[in-house]
Amino acid sequence: MESILNEEVDPADLKRFELMYNEQVRRGQVSEKAKFEYAWCLVRSKYIDDMKEGVALLEDLFKRASDDGARRDYLYYMSVGYTRIKEYPQALKYVKALLKIEPGNHQALQLEKFINKKMTKEGIMGMAIVGGAALALGGLVSLGIALAKK
Amino acid sequence: MGDTEVLTTLKILIIGESSVGKSSLLLRFTDDTFDPEQAATIGVDFKVKTLQVDGNRAKLAIWDTAGQERFRTLTPSYYRGAQGAILVYDVTNRASFQKLDVWLNELETFSTKHDLIKMLVGNKIDQENREVSKEDGLKFARKHHMLFIEASAKTREGVQCAFEELVEKIIQTPGLWETSNRGVDISQGGQAASACQGYCAVI
Ligand SMILES: Nc1nc2c(ncn2[C@@H]2O[C@H](COP(=O)(O)OP(=O)(O)O)[C@@H](O)[C@H]2O)c(=O)[nH]1
Ligand SMILES: [Mg+2]
Repeated sequence: MESILNEEVDPADLKRFELMYNEQVRRGQVSEKAKFEYAWCLVRSKYIDDMKEGVALLEDLFKRASDDGARRDYLYYMSVGYTRIKEYPQALKYVKALLKIEPGNHQALQLEKFINKKMTKEGIMGMAIVGGAALALGGLVSLGIALAKK
Repeated sequence: MGDTEVLTTLKILIIGESSVGKSSLLLRFTDDTFDPEQAATIGVDFKVKTLQVDGNRAKLAIWDTAGQERFRTLTPSYYRGAQGAILVYDVTNRASFQKLDVWLNELETFSTKHDLIKMLVGNKIDQENREVSKEDGLKFARKHHMLFIEASAKTREGVQCAFEELVEKIIQTPGLWETSNRGVDISQGGQAASACQGYCAVI
């Protein structure tokens, strides 16, 4: 799993798919494929701002997706993106949504296991600071529990 | 597995049309499992396995690719640096065999090591409704200088051999790989008979 998460996009690829995407934006006709390709490159970038832009594009693709196959693929890379950003609660939410569509998917199961391991290791406390999103997800309650358990 | 040091890490790719059994072959090889309802791969998947070949231990970093349209433009970027490629077709699906030319072309275009070793695998031989004969597979492999084996991820047949033969051939090709630690004598044990002898057609 670490290899999938650590693997970085070739900067030349990122540039190429960025140009293609921007060209389509300029023409006012963005295809789902070009958008996904750019997003897939972005979430594998070494810069956190790129990753954030990548998951935002994926979230948008997901909202407009018309079939479960596409939804499943977008959810996976949304989860991968948030894992790389270290916003684990978001990552977990998306991988769980994927597992609802395909309960036996071993790539998703592996990712879920990895996220859970990270969350236990770094603690909910760290999450609240890094993510902020943890709070929005009812993190306050779990934070209380986590503190109580210590 | 012995406690011999790892000689080298090799990058291996698995490519071919959707649903020919690429992921199933990989999971049979790495985890010895088979899922009749194997989910289609999302983008790329990755597994590591250490293999003992000819008395040498090699660590395999195996990249399994999705064949779906959404991923087709970007998966070739994973071909870079690969020392070995496993091209899979389904013996019960003639179209998957006919598409091999396309996959070979793509490999030629995007792989960076031009002496990379290719293994052709005709999968799903446990099934009755065959559409591609063994001879056809063999002929194609000969023509394109590839190793060849027929296999079944379901019954295990040929799976271990496919990976072993490929790795053996890579190790025997000078300049294709780098040793991860100095002073290892690769000639040692090099004559040991492979368990697969007679199964793979070595071209
Ligand atoms: N009978 C049989 N079915 C297989 C074999 N290998 C794979 N399958 C099935 O074929 C389908 C596609 O397999 P998968 O590994 O996902 O193909 P991929 O898209 O090439 O990775 C799944 O339903 C597998 O269970 C095999 O050797 N024999
Ligand atoms: Mg697959």
